Amino acid sequence: MTVPGTSRRTTLVAKTETPELAGQTQTEEHVVIFRLADEFYALDIQTVQEIVRMQAITSIPGSDFWVEGITNLRGRVVPVIDLRKRCGVDARDYTAETRIVVVSSANGMVGLIVDAVSEVMRIPGEQVEPPSAIVSVPENTYLRGVAKLDERLVSLVDLEGVLPAGDEFQYAAQAA
Amino acid sequence: MASTKGQPLQFELDDDDLKLFCEEADEQIELLDTSLVQLEGEPDPELVQQIFRAAHTLKGSSATIGHKKMASLTHAMETVLDAVRQGRRTPTSEVVDALLAGLDALRVLTEEVVTRVDSGIETGRLEADLNAVLEEPEQLNSLSVAPSNAATYPVPPDALAAVRTELDNGAAAYVVELTIARECQLPSIRCFQSLQELDALGKLHLTWPARDLIEAGSGEFELAGLLTTMQSEEQITAALQAVTDIESVGARAIPADELGAEIAATAKAAPAAATAGRPQLSVVDDHGPADTGPKASAAAKNKTAQSVRIDVERLDGLMNLVGELVIDRTRLQQVREQLAAILKDANLSELMDNFEETTSHLARVTDELQEQIMRSRMLPVRSVLTRLPRLVRDVAVKCGKKVELYTAGEETELDRSVIEEISDPLVHILRNAVDHGIETPEERKAAGKPETGVVTVTAWNQETYIYISVKDDGKGIDTAALRKKVVEKGLMSREAAESATDDQVIQWIFMPGLSTAKSITDVSGRGVGMDIVRTNIERLNGQITLRSTFGQGSEVIIQLPLTLATTKALMVMANGTVYAIPLVSVTEALADHEADIHSVNGRKTLRLRQRLLPMIDLANALGDSRPRRLVDGNFVVAAKHGDRQAAFIVDRLLGEQDIVVKSLGDLVGNRKGLTGATILGDGTLGLIVDTASLVTEQAALATPA
Repeated sequence: MTVPGTSRRTTLVAKTETPELAGQTQTEEHVVIFRLADEFYALDIQTVQEIVRMQAITSIPGSDFWVEGITNLRGRVVPVIDLRKRCGVDARDYTAETRIVVVSSANGMVGLIVDAVSEVMRIPGEQVEPPSAIVSVPENTYLRGVAKLDERLVSLVDLEGVLPAGDEFQYAAQAA
Repeated sequence: MASTKGQPLQFELDDDDLKLFCEEADEQIELLDTSLVQLEGEPDPELVQQIFRAAHTLKGSSATIGHKKMASLTHAMETVLDAVRQGRRTPTSEVVDALLAGLDALRVLTEEVVTRVDSGIETGRLEADLNAVLEEPEQLNSLSVAPSNAATYPVPPDALAAVRTELDNGAAAYVVELTIARECQLPSIRCFQSLQELDALGKLHLTWPARDLIEAGSGEFELAGLLTTMQSEEQITAALQAVTDIESVGARAIPADELGAEIAATAKAAPAAATAGRPQLSVVDDHGPADTGPKASAAAKNKTAQSVRIDVERLDGLMNLVGELVIDRTRLQQVREQLAAILKDANLSELMDNFEETTSHLARVTDELQEQIMRSRMLPVRSVLTRLPRLVRDVAVKCGKKVELYTAGEETELDRSVIEEISDPLVHILRNAVDHGIETPEERKAAGKPETGVVTVTAWNQETYIYISVKDDGKGIDTAALRKKVVEKGLMSREAAESATDDQVIQWIFMPGLSTAKSITDVSGRGVGMDIVRTNIERLNGQITLRSTFGQGSEVIIQLPLTLATTKALMVMANGTVYAIPLVSVTEALADHEADIHSVNGRKTLRLRQRLLPMIDLANALGDSRPRRLVDGNFVVAAKHGDRQAAFIVDRLLGEQDIVVKSLGDLVGNRKGLTGATILGDGTLGLIVDTASLVTEQAALATPA
């Protein structure tokens, strides 16, 4: 599987190598930071449609365990994925901080359940490194980079990598 | 001649024009399709006139876009129709055959405009056939058709001189004729606008009526002018067609030698005999000079004065919004009830009254709005029924049968999305009726029936459903033959086949892989037919039933919801989730303790009206693996799919509701047992049960082959 974020990463590196170009601000990543199991992750703000509080979710019988179900987003039926389950982190009860980050993906709108959404920020391009430098998993399709910011590490999420491809989703759902 | 098939074609039209051209061409072809069949035998003068106009309009529009083949073929058809119109030719079946063959070619030629690829269709032979039909011995059959009006326009000498000067300068002279739509509110303004367009095109020497009369606002609906210009005929007509409410435009080049004190009128609107409220199509008299060239006919025309063409997508959008509104209404009503329960002790009755008044008003307005928008999507079923006479005629000719078709209830209205879906199944049923149902004339005679078989198609409304019945007086279903067939094909055991009642046997027609015709014909009979028809109808939340009496005929009745936008459903709760079961498939809903439940072969089975229905927990059937929530008292919902039935155990019945079907989305895709989701009164989502697949599955499990 290819990592859709690869090309962008290359550009970022190329840009940082030529810092004398005036367009330095263009190498910034405008992201939404969210928390999942005490770690910070970032989603490209372009893909984020909105962030809503936890709301009623109707589960679909027979679907895969990480598919929480479908929810009504102002008249639209949006499938919701529990990111903890999808990423293999232990499930936890929802809290007042739990949010659904609604993103638009190649397969339409999808809701991602996260522990909390902390902030919206710009990450300078030179602070982003390829994930392989820090994460040792070679075939990592979930992340497209890691940024070191002050005291913390923020992982840049590769949206299409996190989401199952349309057929995988259906297959998984039907097989369950 | 080398085939030109597959070569690219060029037409003079952009995408907007293309849409317009296709709409118009489809409409005219449809009209010809219906009316040509009626032409045979006793032509009604009005009908002939109508057909002639349709052919003429097609000729005009194909010439305008530069489709030479189509223009030439329509010209040949028009010539034949003109002979019929004037009573020089009786529309015998050869004439109608030649015209129908031409019509089929027109469809292909119209498609070429969209694909821009030469289909390689040869029109030369068709045109020759049409001409041959004309040359057959003429008959003098006096039809009352208005004689061609030899109107002339007077040209005073000084104007004539001015025109000649312009001609010497290289301009061409045209007589331009306009008709303004009868329903136009401000004809004088349109006349004035047209004058301005003409002035912009070149030099406008004369107008009839005179210019000062027009400018004074005499409010004429017809206008003619003598124009000299460097522009082409097409440019003239195009410029004038851009003026609102212009119904028809004709421009004819006047050669220098024709210029005189009087110029013959070329284009003229049909006599005012056309009924009020039905605007006239432009009729350009074809007896003008031979060099008339392609005459553009106005694209502007509509069937009824008060109608507007709306993109279906926009209506769909409106319908969706109303769907949302309906949901909000239900939510508000729920909030009101909750509030009322909380506030009933507090002294806030006045506030509550206000709130109640508002919600109930909102409810009423929403209902009305929904109804109105639904109505705006409704079309009479006529558009489907009009295609049938041609079909029946073709099939009957192929099978060597004599069949008469009667239709009734053409005015019955249904949602246009349903109309689009119903056409194919209906055509299939009708083919079956003619091909398999009606006997050959000899067989009918031997059976003591009239030689000509009768097929009746009737449509009617009942409650929130529309019914369409196709009835024939043919041989009916031979249940003995069907029993034999089913056993032969290995679809059923001999014992099972023999023990079935005749009523049950008749329903086997819908069984996959079965065809009762002795031989496979090219009309119907590959054994996939009725099975697929039933699947299609059920996909629309409809039902299909068949009645038949051996030797006397069959009747197929289709039941469909009036609209696909909302569906009536029985709402149930199963293991904590709300499900909607389409009401059309629900036969009964009863409490567990009232149900007559047995155990057959270790399976829970419900006995209901002398039938044994396999029972299954709804949540289990859908694959709900969550721990079972315990509730006291279950309910049983019996559902049917064709002649199969199954009963589903649910926790609670929540009542009936109009639901709006929403897709589960691309990511979730199609799920076994579910057709979508719907928004409930409290804003959460419920799942819509695909009863057809569940019932089929359960029934199959219960009766292992």
